[in-house]
Amino acid sequence: MSDAALLDFLAHSTELEREAGERYTELAESLRTHNNLEVADFFARMAEESANHLAEVSAIADGRALPSIAPWDFEWPDAEAPETLSYETLHYRMTLREAMLLALGNEHAAERFYRRYAEGDEDETVRRVAAVFASEERSHAQRLERALEALPEVSTLARIDDDPPQMPE
Amino acid sequence: MNDAIVLKPRDYKSGVKPIWCPGCGHYSVLNAITKAAAAACLSRDDTVLVSGIGCSSRLPAYVDSYGFHGVHGRGLAVAQGLKVARPELTVIALGGDGDGFSIGGNHFMHACRRNIDLTYIAMDNEVYGMTKGQASPTTPLDWDRSKLTPHGPGVRPFKPAAVALAAGAPWIARGYSGNPNQIARLIAEAIAYPGFSFLHVLTQCITYCPEQTDWKSVVRELDDEPLGNADEAAARFFAEDGFQTGVLYRRESALAQPVASSPADPESVFADLQGAFQP
Repeated sequence: MSDAALLDFLAHSTELEREAGERYTELAESLRTHNNLEVADFFARMAEESANHLAEVSAIADGRALPSIAPWDFEWPDAEAPETLSYETLHYRMTLREAMLLALGNEHAAERFYRRYAEGDEDETVRRVAAVFASEERSHAQRLERALEALPEVSTLARIDDDPPQMPE
Repeated sequence: MNDAIVLKPRDYKSGVKPIWCPGCGHYSVLNAITKAAAAACLSRDDTVLVSGIGCSSRLPAYVDSYGFHGVHGRGLAVAQGLKVARPELTVIALGGDGDGFSIGGNHFMHACRRNIDLTYIAMDNEVYGMTKGQASPTTPLDWDRSKLTPHGPGVRPFKPAAVALAAGAPWIARGYSGNPNQIARLIAEAIAYPGFSFLHVLTQCITYCPEQTDWKSVVRELDDEPLGNADEAAARFFAEDGFQTGVLYRRESALAQPVASSPADPESVFADLQGAFQP
């Protein structure tokens, strides 16, 4: 077993979950400030889930010195960690359905990330741990899919603002 | 405050919560500053963020360091004075496109020319957001979403990188808010650069310019080494579309670090000022 491979994987997993939790927390606070409480509460719940997953990853990494990696040196498939919601996807009038769909996309992205290690890493321990993480992300996604099915359809007109920002100057 | 321990990015965030619109690109710069600060092990006691006025200029309040929220367009003037008086500090000036290129345009040019060792981050969303969406110096000439300019501003937008180069800036980079990790790297490099470092960040304004979410599809990272020849850089900056990111220009230059002869005594300055206003 290559300890370096496992430590690198755990460093990435820790960063992935930490970033996800911090971003969801930030977005929850931002949406709450803009009085979109339904979406704010949802993001706060997602932040809690990320914190739980981070605790799990940290427990596995406990006692091991993870490599110190600069934020820009992590090897993510995209610009940011897979479970981190991009800022430009948000809007203060976004609906709960839109927020849940974005979160679902995140869960799928995280699952793909872990699955890549689970199926392709040379290290057996990394493959095994990554498979567990990928399954967990899959179960999160399934839970969101069920919640989305139960959610009433909301008109796309929900973004129309009764008090639009672009008032006559 | 003891910063001997290694700080995490979140340790550089203050308890003040941002009130920017959800989806605003300025969050990304805040995130990047805290990441760069943690990676560079910046001491919160020896770091100062100086800003002007505007949405982006609220940023110093959200960082747990010293900060100065100045007057419109004058962030760079304050930042340069501070760096001259306290050269041991890490000084970061920041603001938006209106603050930096219009009201503070003259300070911008002369800060480039003076080459004092500080970093200037201009968060450019091509609009005055805080005053409800008017055209700024970098607004495209056909942008017709403001009722003040219903047919678009009709004037060619300001090219910040080209102006910075012409004014003598020795380090010029561009980032994009859709990639906070890249911005963090650029900020870390800017801080480490011994001289005036200008970081132009494209930060979308989701409220007044929602079309800027399309930037993601056109922004691309520069693969080459930064240019070191001003003529080549000028040719590139005039011809480019403005969506190329990375360190675009870097040259070695003699640092201008004026030294304040001795710190002024605040009480005597105050007494002098009082005297000046005596009838």
